[in-house]
Amino acid sequence: MAGAALICTLAAYTLSPTLGGWSPGPADWAGDLTPITAEDWSYDRAAHLLGRAGFGGAPEEIQRLADMTPDQAVRSLVYYDDIANDELEPFAHSGFWDETLTHFPPSRPAATDLGLRRGESMGIRVKPDHVNRHAQPISDRFFFWLRATLLETRRVGYWWAERMLDTDRPLEEKMALFWHGHFATAENKVRDYRKMLQQIDLFERYATGNFGDLLVAVAQNPAMLYYLDAGVNVKGAANENFAREVMELFTMGVGHYSEQDVREAARAFTGWNFENLDFVVHTGLHDEEEKSFLGRTGNFDGVDVLNIILEQPATAEYIGTKLYRFFVRDDVSPELTAELGATLRDHDYELRPLLTTFFLSRDFYSDASYGAHIKGPVEHVITMLKQLGARDVPGVPDFNATTIALGQHLLNPPSVAGWAQGRSWMTPALIQERGNVAFDYLFPDVIGFRDPNFLGRRGTGVVGERLRSGYDFSAAAGLDDPGERSAFDMAAKERDELFNTRISTYRGWEQAVRKLIPTPRGGARVDIAEMIVDAGSADTDEAVDYLLRRFLQVPVSPDFRAGLVAFLDEELGTSDIARAETYMEDPLRMVTHLIMSSPEYQLN
Amino acid sequence: MKTTNRTKQLCDASGVSRRQALKIAAQGLGLGLVGGIGPVPPLFGTTARAMAATEGKILVVFEWFGGYDGLSTFVPYGDDALYRQRPNIGVRESDVLKVDDHFGFQKSMVGMHRLWDEGNLAVVHGAGYDQPSFSHFTSASYWHTGAPNSGEQYGWYGRAADALDPTGTPNYLVNISSTQTLAVRAREHVPVVFADPNSFTRSAFHQEQRYVEKLGLGQEARGDAHQFLLDVNRSARDASALVTQAWDNYNSTRNPDVRLLDLDKVVALIENDFPARLYYVRLRNSLFDTHVNQESPHNRQVQYCSDAVWGFYEEMKRLGKQNDVVMLIHSEFGRRVPENTSLGTDHGTANVAFVIGGGVKGGQYSTPPSLTELVHGDNLQHTIDFRRVYATLIEEFLGSSKSEQVLGKFKTLGMFA
Repeated sequence: MAGAALICTLAAYTLSPTLGGWSPGPADWAGDLTPITAEDWSYDRAAHLLGRAGFGGAPEEIQRLADMTPDQAVRSLVYYDDIANDELEPFAHSGFWDETLTHFPPSRPAATDLGLRRGESMGIRVKPDHVNRHAQPISDRFFFWLRATLLETRRVGYWWAERMLDTDRPLEEKMALFWHGHFATAENKVRDYRKMLQQIDLFERYATGNFGDLLVAVAQNPAMLYYLDAGVNVKGAANENFAREVMELFTMGVGHYSEQDVREAARAFTGWNFENLDFVVHTGLHDEEEKSFLGRTGNFDGVDVLNIILEQPATAEYIGTKLYRFFVRDDVSPELTAELGATLRDHDYELRPLLTTFFLSRDFYSDASYGAHIKGPVEHVITMLKQLGARDVPGVPDFNATTIALGQHLLNPPSVAGWAQGRSWMTPALIQERGNVAFDYLFPDVIGFRDPNFLGRRGTGVVGERLRSGYDFSAAAGLDDPGERSAFDMAAKERDELFNTRISTYRGWEQAVRKLIPTPRGGARVDIAEMIVDAGSADTDEAVDYLLRRFLQVPVSPDFRAGLVAFLDEELGTSDIARAETYMEDPLRMVTHLIMSSPEYQLN
Repeated sequence: MKTTNRTKQLCDASGVSRRQALKIAAQGLGLGLVGGIGPVPPLFGTTARAMAATEGKILVVFEWFGGYDGLSTFVPYGDDALYRQRPNIGVRESDVLKVDDHFGFQKSMVGMHRLWDEGNLAVVHGAGYDQPSFSHFTSASYWHTGAPNSGEQYGWYGRAADALDPTGTPNYLVNISSTQTLAVRAREHVPVVFADPNSFTRSAFHQEQRYVEKLGLGQEARGDAHQFLLDVNRSARDASALVTQAWDNYNSTRNPDVRLLDLDKVVALIENDFPARLYYVRLRNSLFDTHVNQESPHNRQVQYCSDAVWGFYEEMKRLGKQNDVVMLIHSEFGRRVPENTSLGTDHGTANVAFVIGGGVKGGQYSTPPSLTELVHGDNLQHTIDFRRVYATLIEEFLGSSKSEQVLGKFKTLGMFA
């Protein structure tokens, strides 16, 4: 933290320690979309805005917004095109992919069958067939790419997290995260990190643009086409997967279409597919007959169907409500649903006017909205790092591992419905894990850390150890690990003299990590003692109040605050900050850990 | 409660945090930390003993999420229509473990077939509901709430907990899942929800622990979301030490030859007298949504599941609890009768469900749906409302008269002796 100018502002908001600056608007603001005025504006409300529209921030970032009018502050977040943001680095590829992987086989049997039939698959030739296990290189290649795309996807997730932390356009990334959960697509089915990367880029470009344009772009996005089985949706044998989900989850919600509409829409999307990273229409596979969809009849194609969907009032209401729940709060009255839908439709599905309405509304600052949002895991970790003043997302703990433990695996949502958000983020185990993740960031276990990229599934590492100790293939791949055996020995059939998949699992992994760009592993650079010194805290009371103010929106109980002061007194051996200045970093981190473990910290 | 892990106790007594102690013990350094042998911390034992459900009937729901193909699970191999509808993927007679001249389990389900042979496995044919939804999420929510096509907010299991124990005793209702399943959502009870017992504990340095335990105490709720977090936090405090201790104990007593999926957490808690009466386990990483090339993933998934169910009852026998624990297996729907053009099947309607365990009169219940008189676009007509199965479990197994309060009026099946 820099500058004496801040000290006076900070002093102002330490006056009411347990209540902090907690200043929700009156209860009757709830449901009122009237914009707030300059008199309604304060540091605390600016913090509320930045927490929701972005990933929170250090006090100086909040102060910058507080120094504007509310209208300027909201516009600076929503209309961000003029903010250059060019210090963000593009993703650095490890170099796993080449064109022989364009038509990656859907399964290991498909890969090896193809290799045995043609003598080659995925750019790799089989060995001469007098050699034992002559298809082993094909099997190895298959597992190489599975592991390579998995590892690279972890790097994409980590790279994205770094963008969320570094960006000068926080709403752009917040919206990209929203769309990733809305148009959920998972790498574990798509099996191509490049398509996932391409999709994130799409979500960033259309983040706050036009929903109709985004919908069409997503429907023609290779990751989505693959994920919802476009390849098998062909004339005469329509597959309903995409047609159903586009209505149920992406636009209208159940209850606004019939099963017949699903079947007709599926026909309209027949022939839509992709080639490598490009959208293509196989006209010969497209159903050119007439379709009846949502009361209209014509020779519709996919874009026609999407346009009819966009004409439905239910679509605007569904999207408006889902955005509201993400940014404002869970409960939406029927009147507000209608109003949000109308706002979106009146602006032809342009998202910026709707977002501006949200963030300026009295409703957004009302008692009902304040502290009503349970932060999602990625949002939680990025917000924590921003509040701590970290410049980078550190390598220890592993970013993906922490958010997975909290219930959100970037680029691998649990299903096409994405993450359920809200209360589903929290269970008894997960509320504890929130505190544990804070512990791991504040006290990074760099010494005990093991890079998850080098940890295999059970058994895989054992195979490698055996091979490197001179075991032959059969012995190395022997199924003598009880954890790998079925109670009824069904797994024994896994052996095959043409290749051995257990060996391939190891070798594919090993070939992938040889090429993988390593992730630097170190702890977050954080200096809490410096914050306290810069804030001018004289004693432990003031230091605790500063930290509560910096990290929390929802106030904690007086008892909890008193406990933190007592704890800090005990750890420092004094309540005098000047006396303890040279050794107070770890005790302050423990106080921070306790604050971040509180139920209140999970809200903003 | 068993206290078999001596190293663990010593570490606790020396004042090392639980989580640290576990890590240290795992590295084989535990004995180096002995500072003195003291009693087991009072946190364990007292609560568990006070609330142990001695009358002890325990219900476990094992939800096979994803929409399993009942026709490839409990196969009507005696019906020619199966092979007309599914010329490529219909499970052949030679791939069936027969139970009679018409039906049998898919052949990788050796475990559940054994349980059938022991006489404690009930098959319920044609379980479904009116106006079926073909959405995984919607149909699952109907099974979870036990209230199809309604706006019910609470889960049937949660409402059952509220009816059986209106005081909302902590640790009564357990959900093994990374996120809470709608079925357990209750008005009075706060379900214990966790997936990994190893991480169901707070990391903290020794000097922080007193404060960690007080988190959330005396806090005034600032709104609904805040109240919800305070409740969740309280449940975590009530349960986590018991769960991690139980898991730790179980790892020294478990039968290493059985694979249990997530049912191992249930065994661990039952073995260590955790007070829960209702457990809900949702299958993770399901392969059941078999639209494309279904044979291999379906067979693998039913094998894993069947192995786990058999293993679970092996463990119950080891504990002498096989007569006290009943398991219900169901999915959100079955699959469409005709195969699709991708050697798979699409979302369907009615499905076969299973009820297993002590006291169950094994056999087949309800009427198998016709494979030729199809409804809703090539789908099975349900022959029993699934809530009759729920009602049977509440009334006949758990011995409660409140199933009407939970579900509305449904006739029970006479499934328990």
